[in-house]
Amino acid sequence: MMGGLGDGRLSPGGPHAAEGRIGIIAVGIVVAFVIFAVRLFQLQIVEGADLRSRSEQNFVRTIRLEAPRGDIVDRDGRILATTRPAYRVQVIPNELRSGDTTFRALGQILDEAPQELATRVGKPRGRKRFQPVLLRGDLGYERFAQVESHRYALPGVVTHIGPRRDYAEGASAAHLLGTIGEIGTRQLALPRFSGYDAGEIVGQFGLEARLESHLRGKAGGRNMVVDVAGREIELLDEIKPVPGGRVVLTLDADLQRAAEEAFRSKDPEVSDHMGALVAIDPSNGEILALASLPAYDPNAFAGGIDSATWDGLISDPWKPLRNRAVSGEYPPGSTYKAVVAAAGLSEKEITREEEIFCPGHYRLGRRVYRCWKRGGHGNVNMDAALEGSCDVYFYDLGVRLGIDRIARYARGFGFGTFTKIDLAAEKRGLIPTMEWKRRAKGEEWIKGETVSAAIGQGYNLATPVQLAVAYGAIANGGRVMRPQLIKRFETWDKQVLSIESPEEIRRVPVSREILEVVTEGLVAVVQGEEGTGGRARIRDIEVAGKSGTTQVVSLDLVKDMEPEEIPIRYRDHALFAAFAPAEAPEIAVVALVEHAGAGGGTVAAPIVQKVMARYFEKQREREAGEAQPAPEGGAEEGVSPPPPPPPTSTVTASAPAPDDVTLAQREQP
Amino acid sequence: MSMSIDRRSLQYFDWVFLGIAAALVFFAFVNLASATNAGVEGGMSDIVRRQALMVGICSVVLVIILMIDYRHFERFAPLLYLGSLALLAATLVIAPETRGARAWLFEGRVQPSEYAKITLVLMMARHFHRSPPDPSTGLRQLVKPILIAAPPVALILAQKDMGVALLTLLVALTFLPFVRISARAWGGLAAAGVGAMTALWAYGLRPYQQQRILDFLDPERDPLSSGYQAMQSRIAVGAGGLFGRGWMEGTQTQLRFLPTQHTDFIFSVLAEEWGFIGCIIVLSLFLAMLLWGLWIASSSKDGFGAMLAVGLVGTLFWPAVINVAMVLGLAPVIGVPLPLFSYGGSAMLAAFISLGLLLNISMRRYLF
Repeated sequence: MMGGLGDGRLSPGGPHAAEGRIGIIAVGIVVAFVIFAVRLFQLQIVEGADLRSRSEQNFVRTIRLEAPRGDIVDRDGRILATTRPAYRVQVIPNELRSGDTTFRALGQILDEAPQELATRVGKPRGRKRFQPVLLRGDLGYERFAQVESHRYALPGVVTHIGPRRDYAEGASAAHLLGTIGEIGTRQLALPRFSGYDAGEIVGQFGLEARLESHLRGKAGGRNMVVDVAGREIELLDEIKPVPGGRVVLTLDADLQRAAEEAFRSKDPEVSDHMGALVAIDPSNGEILALASLPAYDPNAFAGGIDSATWDGLISDPWKPLRNRAVSGEYPPGSTYKAVVAAAGLSEKEITREEEIFCPGHYRLGRRVYRCWKRGGHGNVNMDAALEGSCDVYFYDLGVRLGIDRIARYARGFGFGTFTKIDLAAEKRGLIPTMEWKRRAKGEEWIKGETVSAAIGQGYNLATPVQLAVAYGAIANGGRVMRPQLIKRFETWDKQVLSIESPEEIRRVPVSREILEVVTEGLVAVVQGEEGTGGRARIRDIEVAGKSGTTQVVSLDLVKDMEPEEIPIRYRDHALFAAFAPAEAPEIAVVALVEHAGAGGGTVAAPIVQKVMARYFEKQREREAGEAQPAPEGGAEEGVSPPPPPPPTSTVTASAPAPDDVTLAQREQP
Repeated sequence: MSMSIDRRSLQYFDWVFLGIAAALVFFAFVNLASATNAGVEGGMSDIVRRQALMVGICSVVLVIILMIDYRHFERFAPLLYLGSLALLAATLVIAPETRGARAWLFEGRVQPSEYAKITLVLMMARHFHRSPPDPSTGLRQLVKPILIAAPPVALILAQKDMGVALLTLLVALTFLPFVRISARAWGGLAAAGVGAMTALWAYGLRPYQQQRILDFLDPERDPLSSGYQAMQSRIAVGAGGLFGRGWMEGTQTQLRFLPTQHTDFIFSVLAEEWGFIGCIIVLSLFLAMLLWGLWIASSSKDGFGAMLAVGLVGTLFWPAVINVAMVLGLAPVIGVPLPLFSYGGSAMLAAFISLGLLLNISMRRYLF
């Protein structure tokens, strides 16, 4: 034994005392472990299920697989709205190795300042570092390919392909197609959006909104196992999305384009016309074109519209977002005379041959109502009255009929009520009656108001689509058709689901014979020597039509001004409603030009003419194609040159004064 | 002084204690393999290989320690103690700052504070053996132990390694039951302790450390940043349930939702993959090891051996208790490794030295 070792002293305070103290330590240790066991029991057994589900929330990321929204195509299957892949570039801040280099390279590809990109990514902290920051939502394919091929040099940059709505024709038919946008909080509360989640993209206006349930498709999902950095480790399961259904419209993209083109000004100094155009197939109510101008590009909405563009659209005084074809209510003006004529014949208040003398004015009581033609039309029968748009003739006829009988016929033609077109923003217009005035104004009807009403002024309001339906009814022998926008619903892979059938809403209370008489009068408007609609002529095709010009403000405001001095918003609206061929109508077109500053025959008729010409040109091409496969046959004669201005004294380019402006209101106090 | 082992020592070799320790090392190994599995294609990760190498080296050290009669350590205790103080001081001067602390030497491979615990225990055991506390000396009997404990604790505090400083202090406090002072003095000590804690909170802790304690008191306070570790650890433990999710199957572990899962939060890995049953088995082994250590103390015929054994049990108990309490959300997040389980060479070596010395004391208990 070595010294100092094993001297036998047990310490401290003897063996038993030390053992007692060691016992205290042992108890302390046991207590600590018992506490651990209890705590483990609490966490793993009592709270186990809850904590396990929290661990699952940690690592399972459910990724929504958006269903591509269904295509909207025209009657020939041409794409109007589709969903295409959009390439997105994102940056995961945590994985950015040398930010400067990456942003410089990315800036070059994206054509943006590197600093701008760097500030957009910022310097997020905590778990935000793992969340991708979107740098560009819709990259062109070429740039996307560039990013992809440089990926190895761009750590932290990730690309993503997602669906994006694409309106192939840009602003064409914008109002009809509508827009999409993120679902609003108030929409989420609505029952029809019960299956929707916040952040989803839904149709907001137009057909996009109306056909939402068909176009939407069914989103799928993918459960991914992710690690703490959000990297996807493996696929757990996946439900494939079902693409939204396809909708075939009745629209003809060519006619639509021709219609919009017709509103465009040839002269760069002169701004484009504003207004609306509706082209309809009278036999079944199919809408062939529906334009509203000014328009906007719905593609701007597809990726979430930026506030500057949105502010610009909603603060624009000319309201480009408004669909003038269905929500614009305008006095129908002289286009209404066809209805009054039909009513007069039907009610036997007049015959076709009966002549009324037009001295240029009409006297009712102490008041004098002027005809637009100061010198008067002389003795006019119905055909001549329509051809020359004689106001006095219709003042007289209107007074004979009385307002309520006019209204009954107007309603019979579909005025004053919804046409039931598949567009939510539709307005119903207004057809005044005595009862209506009592209710709305609390006043009795004045006979003089019938005078204005007989030529479509006064309280009368109609939408362009109502006019098209009414003229369609004249053309088709009296059937008021529901304007039909949709031909059929198909699945995304073109399996037909359902075919929309034409719907006759009502029959006009006018016999076919009377409608034929009216039609002959309308033919005279276009084809006749004295007609106000000569500019709507098409070679080889007989067109029936009626011009209209409606005042926007009381003439007192503008009476001392030269036409070009009149502020645009005070200028008259120009209208033209027509159908062709007169003997077997295939197309009815209504054009309305807001604040045209000239008459319907001057401004609106040529627009109608262009659309109709395009229609018949296409038809000839088709027939030629069917008759002989040689393609040149039809193409040559396809374009019929615009007819020369008709040799009438009333409608000339140098006479911008409204051709048939009614002076009824001028005489009113 | 002979390096040979007495035949009797071999006869009394404590196979039970070694068996318990070996079982723990085995479980630790299996667990570490899973903790470091994420992202490794086939085979073992580097970390597991390095740890295996370390266990090999440590075993050699353990055998060497067994060959030296532990009583020699009493003589060399002051030298070893001063040596470790010098190492701590050197660390303070030359070590680069890593994660806010200057605690590692040789490019982070050696953590002197781990060995300082053991030399402190040697020194304390020597003191309590040579001058057993005398009730008549009152509080004066505390002076020397405090003078022994203060330098290493102060140096580790200066390294800004709060967790290890606290741990070292607690290891020193293991000897507290052996002091013989009046009940009033105990009360005074308790009051002084509370005062010291308050002062530490106000002046000694840096904001992030205060943050951790606040997070401990309310883990949901800020689950995405500072409370994140505690939160994820609790989720992992709870997700284990009764039977665990299976080895290498824990999602918290394999997808790395756990922070520092192969070091400080290694026990969450065990809890997630082996569940309540696995935890109870491992904790029981730990408890058995510690109680066996205390049995070694009480069965030692030698005062120094008894005191040393108690202190060595302290070096194993305190880090384990702090670590497991932290993982289970019973203590704030303190960076203290779980002995034998956490990855790390210095801690492993320190644990093996403690085990070796305990075996040493145990096998020589009949030499008197």
